[in-house]
Formats: sequence, structure tokens, C-alpha cells
Amino acid sequence: MTSLSESHHGPPRVFVTFSNTDRRYEPLDSLVARYEVDGLGDEMPRAVEHSVLWYTEGKGEEDLGVLFFERVTDTERLPPAVPGESFGCTLPASPLSYEGVIVKIRWCVRVRFFFSGGRDFVSEHEFTVGTVPPARMPHAVPL
Amino acid sequence: MVRFPRFFGKKRGHRRTGSQVWASFGDGVFHAALFAVGLVFAAMLLSGVAVPEWRINHRYAPTTCTIIGTGLVRHTRITPAGNGPSTWQPCLRVRYATSDGPAEAWSQPLRGRLTDDRSRAVASLASWHVGDVVPGWYDPADIRSVVLERGYNGWMWLMMLVLPGALIILGGAGLIRAINRWGRSEERCAMPTRLSGMLDPLATGPRHSAGHPGVPACDDMINSPGTVLAYRLPIESPESWTLIGFGLFAVSWNVVLVVLMVGAGLDFLGGTVDWLLFAFIIPFAGVGIAAVVAFSRLLLLATAVGTTQIEISAQPLRPGGSYTLLLAQGGSGTLESLMLRLTLDEQATFTQGTDTRIEKLTIWSQEIRSWHDLQLEPGTRFEARAAMTIPADAMHSFASEHNLVRWSIEVRGKPTRWPAFVRTFPLVVFPDVARRDDGEGAP
Repeated sequence: MTSLSESHHGPPRVFVTFSNTDRRYEPLDSLVARYEVDGLGDEMPRAVEHSVLWYTEGKGEEDLGVLFFERVTDTERLPPAVPGESFGCTLPASPLSYEGVIVKIRWCVRVRFFFSGGRDFVSEHEFTVGTVPPARMPHAVPL
Repeated sequence: MVRFPRFFGKKRGHRRTGSQVWASFGDGVFHAALFAVGLVFAAMLLSGVAVPEWRINHRYAPTTCTIIGTGLVRHTRITPAGNGPSTWQPCLRVRYATSDGPAEAWSQPLRGRLTDDRSRAVASLASWHVGDVVPGWYDPADIRSVVLERGYNGWMWLMMLVLPGALIILGGAGLIRAINRWGRSEERCAMPTRLSGMLDPLATGPRHSAGHPGVPACDDMINSPGTVLAYRLPIESPESWTLIGFGLFAVSWNVVLVVLMVGAGLDFLGGTVDWLLFAFIIPFAGVGIAAVVAFSRLLLLATAVGTTQIEISAQPLRPGGSYTLLLAQGGSGTLESLMLRLTLDEQATFTQGTDTRIEKLTIWSQEIRSWHDLQLEPGTRFEARAAMTIPADAMHSFASEHNLVRWSIEVRGKPTRWPAFVRTFPLVVFPDVARRDDGEGAP
């Protein structure tokens, strides 16, 4: 998923490759993500944030848990000096990815660019932790 | 180029979330208003109460006052409909010596003697006599300001600290939080810092197990040893809170009813009948009786069925693990059925307008064991063992601020003479981090 707060031109394109090419991880695995960005145009980012996080989706309000966060402001580590970067962390024992009925838990890597004009652009790339199968729709329980 | 922030942000799940910029702005304005009101309130109390009281105790010069007259200060609240009821406060006309020579003035009204009964105020003046000499204190900056008593009004100081203090702390913390979040990404805001707990103590969410983020803490489940098996599971009893709520309502309502009835009865004995009060008391008494009946019925239902206890052989629970349960059911009479079920619920909390709603859904449930036509004997309890297995590829327990995945054991009973009951014993299932195989058909 990518989104742009405000833009004069087309959104940048962020390509992320994971250390596990199938994007499936187990708890306590090491995750490394490498990204490259293209299509930034004339406006160069003044900062980039890398994060590894889980969030909930579904009927309830969204909850968010950030496992790894890094803000890069050093121009030598920002485009156009470098086309992309790598970052990573060791995944925790929980929570596992979960496809419930009204509660879902998703893991993702986010790369967020902040431009000098004040706008920002975020690119989100999902991966899974654990192998919990999707929940089925419920059935009535007799008393 | 400055752009106007959008009111709506991205679509997430079933809802469109609001603009983060506007949310932060609104949050900041709201807390700034609270902070400002607290400051104004504090300034008013400080200038109107605290400073004058402090000056009396620290700046006023002692003197000796001779009483030359007595009087009453009348306080009348003026309302749009005319003058409201008056209150009366005694004060004394005194002659006293100052650094600038003798002076004569009315003393400030005497505290603690404010009354709405003029005759009582007049009677209280009888304790002073013209010609008496009493200690006093005058303001060197305004020698006509004299007091006959000093000290601090504790309630006023408490009010000054509590009310503006609460507004200043709440508003200030919210304002700092809003400023701190302004222009920051949600990932950066979600990173826990030393300040985050202090600035937003109510948004910390549930406690988690050490080393297992998102898995609720289970301290309460392992601190109670069982009589036969290793642990006794705590019961979740929303019925108990309902019972307490009904009890408190019935007691408080009927206390008010008794006060009203005593007042009406005294009037009646005095020869006065307030028909309006009687007309008010009759429906009031009806609600009071209904509250007592409802509470008694709930109490009867809660106690008639008897207590339920469950013990478990091991903790913590893991997917694929098998455990022994011991069910103990007290009470008397016949149970048409008694069933143990293992259930997995999802619970989501969300806001709709100004309401906060909770939706709960049982997405998986499995019968562990059931019994039929059980005869319960008073003084003894029915005890039975059962085996339970958590599915190998089951989701672990999960708790965040607005979302829950919750395992529990339900005891469902159907007495012959009473309504059916459900008693819930929460469980915490940890993820099996050693498992690497894929699975199908799990809850």
C-alpha cells in the first residue's frame, strides 16, 4: 500500500525485497528489508522513517505496535545520495498475523518520506508472522 | 506552498479514519481551552481568596479592639425573577489603635456564622457586648480593614488546589501531547517514550506478558493454587457487578425515599399536609420497591445456583497442549444439563458518533464434556474431571487497547427451577514459538 498526502506529480514507487522472499516469517526470526525508491521527481526528501510494526484491522479502532523505528535525516543516507537502504530487526514471539472475523492483525514494513514542502509519502509492505489459518465464520452455540 | 489539511484520511478496515492533522489540532485546542480555564480559575481563586487570606495571616498588624456596636451583613442573591433568599452574617463595629492613630470601622464578617435564619444570626450577636475588648488585626495599607479572627479556610484551599489543579494538569498534559505529536508520523508517535505514559496515562492499554507483546498478562491465573489440580481459574462474573449496581441503586434510592417520607410524616404530625410532596412520594416509592424486588431476584438467582469452580492441571497454555480440568459445582436441586465448553471470542471496541460500542463474537467453540440430570446435594459439591486440548494451530490470546482475541472456558448450566446460567473462566493461550509446520482447519 502506498499513499501520498499531497502531490503535484505521480507518487514515488518503492520496491521492497524481504530476506524471506515469500514474506513468511516465524516468531523470533530475523527480518531484513531492502527498499529502493523511484520517481521522486525534483523534490527530495528531508527525512525518511523506516518502521516494522503490527496493526489491527476490522471492526474495532486501530491499534498499533511498533517493533522497530528509525528516522534518517542524514543527507548522505537519503535519496539522491543513495537510492535505498536496508533495515531489519528480530521479530518478537507475538502477536502472530491473524485473519479473524472482526479482529485482524497485520504485520508490515513502512517507509515514510518527508518532503521539504511539508507533505509526506508512506509505502507499506505486508508480511506474515506465524501460520495461524484464517478464522471461519461462527455458528450458533446451543445452550 | 501551504495546503489546507484534509478532513478525511485513509480508509482502514471497515471505517474511514479522520484526518490526523485535524484530530491533532482539535485535541490541542480542546486541551488548551482546559488549560486556560484552569489558569483563569486558579487566578480568580488566588486573587479572591488565597492572597487576601495570606495577607490577613502575614501582613495584618495586631491590635486591641473595643466593641462599640453590633450588626448583621445581609447577602441577597439577585435573580432575573427578583431577589432570592437572603443569608445573614454577624459583624462588629470596633474602635482600635493603629500606627496612624485610633480608627473605627466595621470588622469583616465572622466566618462560620453564616445562616439563612435572621433570628439565629441576631441571637449569635448576644455573645458580644458593647464595651468588650477583643483581639484584632488591621491592614497597615488600609487601616479601615480590620478582622477579629485569622486562620485559613481549609475547604477553600482544597477546592483551589483540586479544581484548577485538575484542569491545569489534564489540559497541560494534553496540550504537551498534542504539540509533541504535531507533524509526527503515527509510527513515531506509537514508539513508547518516557513521557508517553505520563502524558497519556489512560491510553496505555492492557498489561502484556513479559516477552510476549500483545499477549495479556496472566498473573491472576497462576497465583491461586487449586485443591486437587495445580491452579484454580479466576471466574469472570459480570453478573456480580450487575448485582452490586442494583444493590447500590436500591439502597441509595430508598435512603432518599426514607428521608422524604420522614419529612412528609413530620409535616403530617405537625398538622400540615403537603399534597404535592405526597404525590411525588407515591411513584418514588414504586421505583424504590421495584429496585428492591429486582435486587432480591438477582441475589436469589446468584446464590440459588451455587458456586462454580474450575481447576486446571498446568499453565501457561500453548496450542496443541492437553490439559486436565476439574469442575466443581455447588448448590442444590436438579440440573437438567451442565456443559463445559472451550471458546474463542473476538472483541472489538469502536466509536459510533459519541458512543463507544463493544462487539463480541464467538468464532469457535467446542464442547469439552457435558452431564445431564445432575442431582446436587446441599453441603456437597459435584466434582468431575475432563480433558481439554487447545487446537495445534490456534491463535494465541491477544489484547490491545481496542481489540481482543480471548480464550475461555464456559460452564453452561440449566437448572430445573431457575433460568439457565453461563459462567466464564478466562484463559491465556501463549503462541507456540517452537512450532514451524503449516496447519489447516484451526479455529
